[in-house]
Amino acid sequence: MQFRGKQVVAASGAVAAAIALAACSSSSSSSSSAPSSAAASTPAASASTSASASSASGTISGAGSTFQTNFQQGAISAFKSVDPNITVNYNPVGSGTGRTDLYANSVLYAGSDSPIPSKEAKDVPAGKTVLYFPVQIGPIAIAYNLSGVTGLKLDATVLAEIFSGKITTWNDPAIKALNPSASLPSSSISLEVRSDSSGTTANFSQYLVDAAGSAWTLGTSSIISFPKSAHANDGGSAVAAAVKATPNSIGYVDFSTATATGLTAASIKNSAGDYVAPSSQSAAAAATHVTPKANLTFLTVDEPGATSYPITYQSWDLVYAKQPNANDAALLQAWLGYLLGAGQSLLTPLNLAPLPASIDAAAKAQLSQITS
Amino acid sequence: MSTGVQADPAKSAGSASSLTRRRPLGDRGFQVLALVAGLLVLAILIGIAVSTAQQGADWFSTAGFKGIFSTVWDVGNNQFGMMAFVYGTVISSVIAIIIAVPVSLGVALLLTEVVPRRWGQPIIVIIDLLAVVPSVVWGLWGILVLEPWIEPIYASIASGVNGIPVLDNLFGESNGGVSGASFFTCGLILAIMITPIITSLAREVIATVPAIDKEGAYALGATRWEMIRGAVWPHSQAGVVGAILVGLGRAMGETIAAALVIGSSVQVTSHLFVPGYSIPAVIANQFGESSGEFRSALIGLGLVLFVITIIVNLVARGVVERSARRSRGA
Amino acid sequence: MAVVSDQPTIDLREPGGWRRSKNQIATVLMYVAFVIILIPLGLVIFEVIAKGAKAISWQFLTNSTIPPNVMPLGQGGMGAAVVGTLEITAFAAVIAVPLGILGAVYINEYGGGGKSWLSGLISFMSNVMVGVPSIVMGLFIFTVWVIPHGLTGLSGFAGSLALACLMLPLVIRSTYEMLRLVPDHLREASYALGATKSRVTLTVVLPSAISGIVSGSLLAIARAAGETAPLLFTIGLVESTNSNLFSGPTTALPSQIFSNALSPYVGAEERAWGAALTLIVIAFILLFVARIFTARFTRYAR
Repeated sequence: MQFRGKQVVAASGAVAAAIALAACSSSSSSSSSAPSSAAASTPAASASTSASASSASGTISGAGSTFQTNFQQGAISAFKSVDPNITVNYNPVGSGTGRTDLYANSVLYAGSDSPIPSKEAKDVPAGKTVLYFPVQIGPIAIAYNLSGVTGLKLDATVLAEIFSGKITTWNDPAIKALNPSASLPSSSISLEVRSDSSGTTANFSQYLVDAAGSAWTLGTSSIISFPKSAHANDGGSAVAAAVKATPNSIGYVDFSTATATGLTAASIKNSAGDYVAPSSQSAAAAATHVTPKANLTFLTVDEPGATSYPITYQSWDLVYAKQPNANDAALLQAWLGYLLGAGQSLLTPLNLAPLPASIDAAAKAQLSQITS
Repeated sequence: MSTGVQADPAKSAGSASSLTRRRPLGDRGFQVLALVAGLLVLAILIGIAVSTAQQGADWFSTAGFKGIFSTVWDVGNNQFGMMAFVYGTVISSVIAIIIAVPVSLGVALLLTEVVPRRWGQPIIVIIDLLAVVPSVVWGLWGILVLEPWIEPIYASIASGVNGIPVLDNLFGESNGGVSGASFFTCGLILAIMITPIITSLAREVIATVPAIDKEGAYALGATRWEMIRGAVWPHSQAGVVGAILVGLGRAMGETIAAALVIGSSVQVTSHLFVPGYSIPAVIANQFGESSGEFRSALIGLGLVLFVITIIVNLVARGVVERSARRSRGA
Repeated sequence: MAVVSDQPTIDLREPGGWRRSKNQIATVLMYVAFVIILIPLGLVIFEVIAKGAKAISWQFLTNSTIPPNVMPLGQGGMGAAVVGTLEITAFAAVIAVPLGILGAVYINEYGGGGKSWLSGLISFMSNVMVGVPSIVMGLFIFTVWVIPHGLTGLSGFAGSLALACLMLPLVIRSTYEMLRLVPDHLREASYALGATKSRVTLTVVLPSAISGIVSGSLLAIARAAGETAPLLFTIGLVESTNSNLFSGPTTALPSQIFSNALSPYVGAEERAWGAALTLIVIAFILLFVARIFTARFTRYAR
């Protein structure tokens, strides 16, 4: 085969041209028109343009809770048209790792579904105060994959026994008692749980401790030693994917991820005795009963109220009160201000719930405590 | 005009020149530069060993050698036993070798002995295409296409061997049933990925068999297969073993495809159709979320993997080069 | 005249029966082996094209905003990842190719092709280094570069370093093979004209091997472009283009494919296929160009 020089030049020229074109068109990211089409598809577009662009510019990196993934990603996308000078990156590595990254100064803010546990207190660098900014409320869905079964009803005791391995088959009498009309198969239950340090796990286990009493013996923590038969997954999305792919499986995953994956969620009995399905509204109803502490930490599990979803939880963005420089402080105030302000309207379409007005106001007032 | 340095006629051209002899500065500088570049290889290898050992020391001081052989992996309680991952790495790589070796050797022999040179070119192109597909694409295809397709096949095999003593332990159902993401699927994908390597190395080795032996066998009336068995195989035996070992090393170190299709389940079991875990897969999946002793344990796992693959490659290359030298001398 | 009658008779007929069948079976099995390797190759290319073509559009390839995972196809694009891959891989090549060529020059020209103990060691160890898992390279750069740099550690540059470690032994090995093929008489003729060793290498040896060297380097680049593991702990994760290689996290096509493959959302899955198609096209183009150079070199060497 004769390869003429011209052919080589043409081939390499084509490759080089492709590279140059790609580089040129993506270097115009600051003036891109694409984000406005992204904002237009979310109903909150009009709300987002009412926030004014701040004078700060730069890049913010955050990491942590997978529960916040959908909200953070949506807000980052919408924020581009609000303030094109600020670029935000969020890495959903799990609440525990997000906090560790904050202590190590690799990120400016950490997404965490639970306050800093006492055993982590020593890891916080000396002299640093951590501020908690609640950003979202949402349900933990008990997602299941059972063909021919919809509207599964469960309560805390049965949940505790399923997830500690005491109930192993779907047609167990305890489950049947709550679902007399459902045709439950005799197959064994495939448990999908989290393997990583997760705020979802922490809040789910907290609910079981509060509501299931002696039926739940595994305690509450970001990492639970589930029974050996449970399949451990890294991250909320992985649990959702696993439940979707595995027949006769059940798992706990935030409702936003569960619905986006197309999973069915069980209705859970709340403290008023009603079986409530997870939704943005039932989570918001639960949140209205919450009284936060002075540092804005609170728990939303097992709240009273007839329409409250019992396994509701929350997430915070943690930042240091004292920032190394004024630009970082301004960036954080702009970004967190957006999340607490116009960004809240992004939550309901994502099947999450916005903060109750009083908590939102308190959080906004706390913004001024970020100084440099 | 006489040059400053007389070339020594006894030395062959291209041998190392001493840096101490009077030579132009640029010439000596170039030699130093080349030497540094070469030493970089050694520096990186030593650097890997030292840095991973340092980071893994934290875990090693708590777990000790027992930690390497323990199968208990409980992150919540800071228990980091490595055996389950070593097992998974070995099992999936062995499955990969068992599948890949006959195919690779078949293609290598096809190219060197059977097919005329003209028709060999397209085959070589196909092998190259196979080699250049990125491992993450194999993983993507594995998890989204292969797994759902192969799971019913596993299920029917499992029900087929139900009750048969050894086969049931290997291919039967474990307590969780069978899974598309499993040791065997991982081995299958790894086999696809290492086939091009084994094929090209085996080709190189087989090509060093002296033509005289091959022609001698034909002259005695041997069929092609008999010639391969009698002339090619004895000469290339060691080299082919080396090629297989190189493939084994590659299979053990393959990260992304394994991370996606092995099933991410820490267990040691003889059942092949169930999810498992391997060293590179657990590092890839859990490193981002790790810290403290957990992270140290993962880096320690990296060191274990490094040592295992270095040993396998040392043996492989040693065997290949020794056989190459022997046949060159012959 | 010798008596022929007691010499063994050589049977010159076609071997019959069982021997012939064995041979035929063996030949058939070899062809079957070839068909077996065609199957996964064909399947994966088919699937990637079938599923990825849906996602490919000019917007997909160049839009600098990576959409949230939940978003369906049509929003944003992978431009950030394309830029990331091109930049990181190109810079890794800038580091690894010259160093690899120099290393091979040392082994072959100054070490007598492995005869001196040092060059023999380097040559052997670079062959061994080819087998080091790519994730170990990633861990290495993470430990020695990312950790000490804290907040600024994650960057495209760190990813380039990790990929360069991966490419170095590949470039050394292929360059070494090419240099060995350059006939000695070219070198001797240059020495006879009074050239220094570096001059001989730079002006005679390397240019005659250049096609083969380029081909080997392109294959190493193709390999590096497709690697994910070294990038896992070194480049971080972003949602928009970061064209600055040296500061701030970035993303690349293999990383996006990996994270999207694990995501349960339909849109993310489709984007993964689109990114996979893009990556395969890049790899195949590099392979094709490498083959062109190999053909030129073989033509020359013959």
